[in-house]
Amino acid sequence: MATAQPVAKKKAANQIPLTYVVALVPVAIALNIVGGQINTALNLPIFLDMIGTAVVAIVLGPWWGALVGALTNIIASFISGPIGLPFAVCNVVGALIWGYGVRSLKMGRKFWTFFVLNLAVAFFVSMTAVPIYVFLFGGATGHFSDMMTAAFLAMGQNLLVSVFSSNIIVSLADKIIAGFVALAIIEALPANMTTGIELPKSEGLSKILWIVGGIVIGVAVMLFSMYGLGG
Amino acid sequence: MSKEVKTVGTKEALGAGVLGLGLLVLFLPSAVQKIADLEFITSEAFAMLSGSVMVVGIFILLAGLAVMFAKFE
Repeated sequence: MATAQPVAKKKAANQIPLTYVVALVPVAIALNIVGGQINTALNLPIFLDMIGTAVVAIVLGPWWGALVGALTNIIASFISGPIGLPFAVCNVVGALIWGYGVRSLKMGRKFWTFFVLNLAVAFFVSMTAVPIYVFLFGGATGHFSDMMTAAFLAMGQNLLVSVFSSNIIVSLADKIIAGFVALAIIEALPANMTTGIELPKSEGLSKILWIVGGIVIGVAVMLFSMYGLGG
Repeated sequence: MSKEVKTVGTKEALGAGVLGLGLLVLFLPSAVQKIADLEFITSEAFAMLSGSVMVVGIFILLAGLAVMFAKFE
């Protein structure tokens, strides 16, 4: 009888109202597509197409995030061409790591563990993206990072190392920004949507400063890749 | 007269993830052909399709494992 209450509580925490899914999933897909379009329009050395994926993976769970990731790239391939479709697996990898990282490994408890989680997402997404870049596209897709790849090739590196080096820098900036923007969005959601999710507990200005700090680090990495390596 | 709220859990989440992966597999053949037709692409459509299906297959296996180990009750 003593364990009945915690088990019931855990079961209730795993159950999400269907309305949350119906409301959040399409909005997250739209957010990803709009982010990707803004990035393409401004020709930034990041992707910005995983913010919605991060929000859904953390709030609803990793496999809902995987659905958002797959649907984002499928829908975006109709808008901006088929090049993005094979990279849907990268979006799925990001969703699984953000989702399991925050919900199962409890890496969202503190800001520094959440920061490390974003670095892990960047690493594993790059590990997935590099073979697609090299074996499907021959190392170039027309993204800003191609310039960095060319710079690394000119230094005498082989194609695989050059693509990984440029992609990991771009991915680090992108996932740090996406993770902390997602955290800001999650903070703005109604409290009952985020019950049971362990996120950093600081209050007021301190929390805002941590989130802004994370985004600033991401932007700094992006500027480094733009002006230090790409330009 | 309180109306019961419909909820979804781990089972539905895994189902949704597998649906997403299935959709991806459905769209791959046409997308791969379009990619192969691009001027700067040197790879052939068949090689791209086999590679892509293998990668998505790994995720479907992961989803299967997640279904096996998930606690639905």
